[in-house]
Amino acid sequence: MSFVTVRDPVVGEEVLLATTRSGLRVRVLPRPRLRETAAVFTFGYGSVDLVFDAGDGVVATPAGTAHYLEHKLFEDEELAVFQRFSARGARVNAQTGFSRTSYFFQCAQQFDENLRDLLRLVAKPHITAENVEKERGIIAQEVRMYEDAPDQCATFSLLGAMYDRHPVRHTIGGTVESIGEITAERLLQAYDAFYRTGNAGLAIAGPVDPEAVLAIVEECMLRSGPGPARADVADFGVPASARVERTLQVVRPKVLVGLKEREPRASTYERVRRASATGVVLDRLFAASSDLREGMQQRGEFDDSLGAGYMGEKGFGFATIGCDTDDPARAEGAIRAMLSVDANFDDEQLERLRRRSIGSFVRSCEHVRALASAHAAEALEGDETFIGMRALQSLTTADVATRRERIVRDENLAVCVVRQA
Amino acid sequence: MSDVFAGFLLARPSGVPVLLRRDPGVKTFRITVLWRRPIGPMHAARAMLPALLQHGTRAHANRPALARARERLFSANVGMGFSRHAEQSVLRLSADAVSASFLPGEPDQFGSVQELMLEQATRSRLLAPGLPLEVFERERAQALADARAIKEDRGRQARLSAVLQACQGEPYGVPEHGGEAAISAVAMPDPPAALRDFLQHGEMTVLLAGALPDEPERKLLPFLTSLPTSRPEPLLPPVQPPLRQARTIRETAPMQQAKVVLVLRAPVPDSPARLCALQVAMSLWGGGPHSRLFTEVREKRSLCYYASAGGDADKGLLLVQSGCGADSVAAVGEESMRQLAEIGAGRFSAAELATSIAVSQGPLRSIDDAPGARLSYTAEQFLRGFDETPEQRIASLGAVGREAVCEAASAIWLDVDYALLPEGGP
Repeated sequence: MSFVTVRDPVVGEEVLLATTRSGLRVRVLPRPRLRETAAVFTFGYGSVDLVFDAGDGVVATPAGTAHYLEHKLFEDEELAVFQRFSARGARVNAQTGFSRTSYFFQCAQQFDENLRDLLRLVAKPHITAENVEKERGIIAQEVRMYEDAPDQCATFSLLGAMYDRHPVRHTIGGTVESIGEITAERLLQAYDAFYRTGNAGLAIAGPVDPEAVLAIVEECMLRSGPGPARADVADFGVPASARVERTLQVVRPKVLVGLKEREPRASTYERVRRASATGVVLDRLFAASSDLREGMQQRGEFDDSLGAGYMGEKGFGFATIGCDTDDPARAEGAIRAMLSVDANFDDEQLERLRRRSIGSFVRSCEHVRALASAHAAEALEGDETFIGMRALQSLTTADVATRRERIVRDENLAVCVVRQA
Repeated sequence: MSDVFAGFLLARPSGVPVLLRRDPGVKTFRITVLWRRPIGPMHAARAMLPALLQHGTRAHANRPALARARERLFSANVGMGFSRHAEQSVLRLSADAVSASFLPGEPDQFGSVQELMLEQATRSRLLAPGLPLEVFERERAQALADARAIKEDRGRQARLSAVLQACQGEPYGVPEHGGEAAISAVAMPDPPAALRDFLQHGEMTVLLAGALPDEPERKLLPFLTSLPTSRPEPLLPPVQPPLRQARTIRETAPMQQAKVVLVLRAPVPDSPARLCALQVAMSLWGGGPHSRLFTEVREKRSLCYYASAGGDADKGLLLVQSGCGADSVAAVGEESMRQLAEIGAGRFSAAELATSIAVSQGPLRSIDDAPGARLSYTAEQFLRGFDETPEQRIASLGAVGREAVCEAASAIWLDVDYALLPEGGP
């Protein structure tokens, strides 16, 4: 097995790409001057993957299954996963998102043992009816904790308004009711379907010997093959509801405006380009560097709580703009006015954003976990490298204007207003 | 003439301590200037400074112009921060930037960020009669809104309420934002007065670390001499209350999950060895998934989603925080204190001790990967007066034995048993 070497486009550091005999895509970023090493193992299984082909038929799983499985992989027969990593001075954890679940550790010593342990963790699940039951109360508490977070509740209300069929509308951890339906059998079924070498990406960054790393990774007992076929939920129509209102325990009302991605599915590179271009649009209108935003704030239309962002993944994408306000109608009107304002995109703005992006990129080179996370996600998707940087570098003002014209449309828009209980 | 402190060169040009460490192996550098004053009546006005200082300088007319200037410097983080160290207010002017040699055209990043720092500290619209009243009023309203918004994070609300009630009458018993009433009372002249007070009477310290250019001391001198000369006033040691009966406080809020906060007191460590012993004891008790709070309270008894211990050693104030069902609040508190007693009595294994030491040492082993982490560590040691490099601290942690852990754990006492409960719950 040999590596293909590529270099990053800013500081020219090496990234080595390989695929193991069992089909796992691996990236190694040797950084001999750093002291810490991070490994990130990412699977293409997230909260939206509720319906899939389990081999002997299509199964529908309850909301929160991917997250529940993530919890359970941290339990093995010795009941000492965390303790083993801690004893080596390593920090280990995991994270479940809409489309991915990642397991990772960082350490400054005993890297080989930590990597072997991580590989064992994801390849040898210890899931029993008893330990699934024991975990239910802990996860229920986690779900309750998020139910006390009004911003999260508002976001998922907005997603529910935009998507009436796509499972992105469900919270990542599910609900206390949905996790009540999760059993050891369901978790093992999901594990068998999704935890495969062809549905994963592994990246390691730090002062490591790439050949030695690859030799250890080759020992990984994860089953080979691709991930399962998922239910194809084509939910690219207009938002299911243009408006939703909720009452929550908030100090001030909240307004959250969403713009739904309506374009058909696209390649990974095209999605990243869309995200870059949408980021430029949102930045021009809503960032701290925007004179338009400052003018609106001076007029009291909204305050510093205003924030904007974009997320685009396979099968769904959306921009959100929101703030806390004493006058939701006025704030909503101001956000709508900003979206339709006559704002030019110029080369000076693009150059500033490129500089900002280069600065962030170089900074990330000092953080092994950030490096490994970005590359594990790219490895999962395929072989393209540094697509975010390439996408931003290639953008023109005309691309940005076109992007704005496509996503900022009345028919794409949904609003969530949260009022005080 | 320079000295060495915790692996940094220490010089005192014009009496101000400047700590400096070049590391050509990294890609960024950091410059930090700290001014320290006792926590006092100007607290709310001080806390508003970072936001107000964003509203423009002589060279950058307003907030967007200043933001664009930072973006042009390859997203250099240049600005003011406000925090506390034990019972001192700390105003922090800092820059975190990418070194020129990693950027196209190799621009003078070191000189440019110093210029921007100086703009914010000495040529701000806040200091000149140029800041409109409506901007000040907007920021005051924002500060008030932010203070009230803490209630949307119930964990944070519980922690704040517990600490304020435990530290009533102590300088520490003031919220970091100053308090809603104090914010409302801040008048237009107060923040500039607070800034001048910091610059003229604060205990000043300067730190630089990372991929610095050649002769950084010489290149920093114009910046240093352009800052106002400080005539520092004395700082006081933190107030430590005498041992007293633990108080139980229960409050309610409309929410789903109860929040437990145990406020505990410990002697402020007077040596690196005592600090290390306390750190290992806290690690063993609740410093991560290897700890007793995680393994016993969460994993074995399934009482909560999270339970951890941490705190401010320089104040001698420690906290246990947990999120749990309302019916588990008492059990979480009791089991947490029982585990502390177990540690105090030495009932922990050699493996647990070794793991707690390894976990405490872990972040120090890679601290030089990012200049910010090394600089923060050194600043903390300098404010404490503990002259130990990270390597020496790793050795000190490795030398912590069972007796030292027992002694540290036994000296911790419960001051306030606080819980924020869901309304209408048990």
